[in-house]
Amino acid sequence: MRKFIAHTLLFMVFLSFIYVGSVFLFGRLASNECKPNIKYRLGAYGHFFSRLKEVKTKHNIDILFLGSSHAYRGFDTRIFEQNGLSAFNLGSSAQTPMQTKVLLDRYLKQLNPKTVVYEVYPTTFTLDGVEAAIDLVSNDHNDVSSFEMALRTRNIKAFNSFLYASIIDLVGLEGTFSEPRLKGNDTYVPGGFVERKMSYKSTSAQAQQLNPLNIKQMRYFQANIEVLKSRGIKVILVYAPIPKSSLPQSMPSAYFDRLMQATGEYYNFNTLIELDDSLHFYDADHLNQRGVELFNTKLLEVLSK
Amino acid sequence: MQFNSLDFAVFLPLIFSIYWLIPAKRIRLQNVLLLVASYVFYGWWDWRFLSLIACSTVVDYSIANFLGRSTHERKRKVLVFSSVVINLGLLGYFKYYNFFIDTFVEAFSLFGIAFSPRSLNIILPVGISFYTFQTLSYTIDVYRRKLEPTLDLIAFSSFVSFFPQLVAGPIERASSLLPQFFERRTFNYGQAVNGMRQILWGLFKKIVIADNCAVFANYIFDNSADLNGSSLVVGALFFTFQIYGDFSGYSDIAIGTSRLFGFKLKQNFAFPYFSRDIAEFWRRWHISLSTWFRDYLYIPLGGSRGSTGLKIRNTAIIFLVSGFWHGANWTFVVWGALHAMYFIPLLLSQRNRTHLDVVSQGRRWPRLKELVAVSLTFTLTVFAWIFFRAENLAHAWSYVGEICSSSIFAMPAFPGMARAAITAVLVFGFVIIEWQGRAHQYAIADFGRRWIRPLRWTFYAFLIVLIGMYMPSVESPFIYFQF
Repeated sequence: MRKFIAHTLLFMVFLSFIYVGSVFLFGRLASNECKPNIKYRLGAYGHFFSRLKEVKTKHNIDILFLGSSHAYRGFDTRIFEQNGLSAFNLGSSAQTPMQTKVLLDRYLKQLNPKTVVYEVYPTTFTLDGVEAAIDLVSNDHNDVSSFEMALRTRNIKAFNSFLYASIIDLVGLEGTFSEPRLKGNDTYVPGGFVERKMSYKSTSAQAQQLNPLNIKQMRYFQANIEVLKSRGIKVILVYAPIPKSSLPQSMPSAYFDRLMQATGEYYNFNTLIELDDSLHFYDADHLNQRGVELFNTKLLEVLSK
Repeated sequence: MQFNSLDFAVFLPLIFSIYWLIPAKRIRLQNVLLLVASYVFYGWWDWRFLSLIACSTVVDYSIANFLGRSTHERKRKVLVFSSVVINLGLLGYFKYYNFFIDTFVEAFSLFGIAFSPRSLNIILPVGISFYTFQTLSYTIDVYRRKLEPTLDLIAFSSFVSFFPQLVAGPIERASSLLPQFFERRTFNYGQAVNGMRQILWGLFKKIVIADNCAVFANYIFDNSADLNGSSLVVGALFFTFQIYGDFSGYSDIAIGTSRLFGFKLKQNFAFPYFSRDIAEFWRRWHISLSTWFRDYLYIPLGGSRGSTGLKIRNTAIIFLVSGFWHGANWTFVVWGALHAMYFIPLLLSQRNRTHLDVVSQGRRWPRLKELVAVSLTFTLTVFAWIFFRAENLAHAWSYVGEICSSSIFAMPAFPGMARAAITAVLVFGFVIIEWQGRAHQYAIADFGRRWIRPLRWTFYAFLIVLIGMYMPSVESPFIYFQF
């Protein structure tokens, strides 16, 4: 039995080296089709790399924005700065509470915000968080909290991507990478906001069919709120406007509203401001700049109360 | 709990460690642990169905003991008949109730009689077809006086619910497995390493081969109406390797896991795709089920003795029942019928026991004649799998119809061709290793045995790397769980 245990342990060590080496080689040399379980998206969609680079230079701000693409495309920090509020937007594509936790672990102490505007969107509570986890491990340095996140997704793709990104961090292979401010129709605005070239929604959106809420994400969400409240930070939950035609039918707003109201101060801007699907959105999900301005002005009113 | 899940990766080492901490002479305590572990393993899906296993266990334990005490032949017949009725009754209710209702409705509608009986929303308990057959073999063997009934309820319950093979076999005979629960089991390094190796190969088959083939097989079968004939052939080939990798992979993990606990289960797959005729295929595919039907159905019916008509009847029955065992759908029955059609000519010409050895034994490559025979058998098997996989008979016929059309000469075209090519390369490598190891219990049983340890470990590590690189993001269940 001792021999069996000793050999098993020895094999595990041997395997670790082979596995890490293979992940590096596959990640580096193989085409995307050959490595379906390794994703490395440095400079991912939505300027996440630039945002994470900039956040390291920020300290003691008034407002911190968290959430999905509705956050980084919906909260224009310039509007808040103009009103005398220093702000930073730490949203990322499909950010689920699982990724929010990692970001809070890393940057909350340093940013030390007075208020956190936490964008809540039903869909993000239904996701497994794998894609957003891959974005995070690819664009920020990796540590114990990202390792924990990769493990908790219980997804081999997130785990392999974490391993690969960690090796890249360790070797410093992408140390000179820089992301252009202008990518396609998107411009990165210092402060974390991404401004979209003015356009209007042309196609008709279909109402989303949502999966059931992911219990794991709900637990992370509650934990994040607890962390913020324990530090005496004011937390405002915001359901950012989306086109009326995109509102999820399978999860009535009233149900989601009740769920959020039970957690804290909550505002559903789909009912607080009247926006037009064609005039104030550029796609089935996001506000155009005119919509952002209306939304942020209304949010400032709410904050001033 | 699934073998290819993280839960099982924690569960197995935990139970393994506790099990071997129990002194070897405390056999009963080891059995209690196995029983608890098996119920936890099964209850992980749905604890409510534990009552079914418990019910099956108690019924067969009691009936077998009555059988053991009774010398009155008529009473014994009633007892064994009750066991068959209760076990098959449970199976019939959970698996076939709605099928029979729907078939009756359709049959009556042909005569213009319309009625709508209540169909029930029944969930099929995982593995019911497997453990029902296992317990049935016990009472029938006791009835035939081939086996003494056991008084040890713990050992018997552990036998019925033994977690490695509970949900998808191999279907073990009581005469082979039950005595092992009374024997002293001591840890054996060689056996444990062998078990680990077989588990690894089973995981590779399931995760790398079956699950990757499944992506394309599912797409092609689900969208067959929009694809050309050559794409449909590719889909059938992918399904052929999917079902083999899936089911034989499960069996390898089950057998390997049993070895870790000091148990020996029978080989369930013996490289069936290298068979030279259909009779050989059936000696190599799902061996535990084929032999079960042979011993408890075919031979009691008269087997291959008697007139030609009887031989044909018995063979047709066993193949049709075998098809129907897989599920409540006419596609499975047609699949069984096709195999009967393949098999009967061999039986009648007394060539059904021609190939009892391993193909190309002692040689590296097959002879041309063997290659042709293997290819032909493989083609017949692939054709039958189309019916097995199709949603219904209409789907199967349209699938076959498109393959027989001129579009068979077009290039295959479906989304993800590059990934499909990579999967094909993986399957090719897999077939090479299987061919190399075809004379053994499983393909890598002897693979690299004479290599130095670092090289051998590199090979095992490489298999794990491939699992890590190509496993699907979401755990996919084993196909045979639905049966």
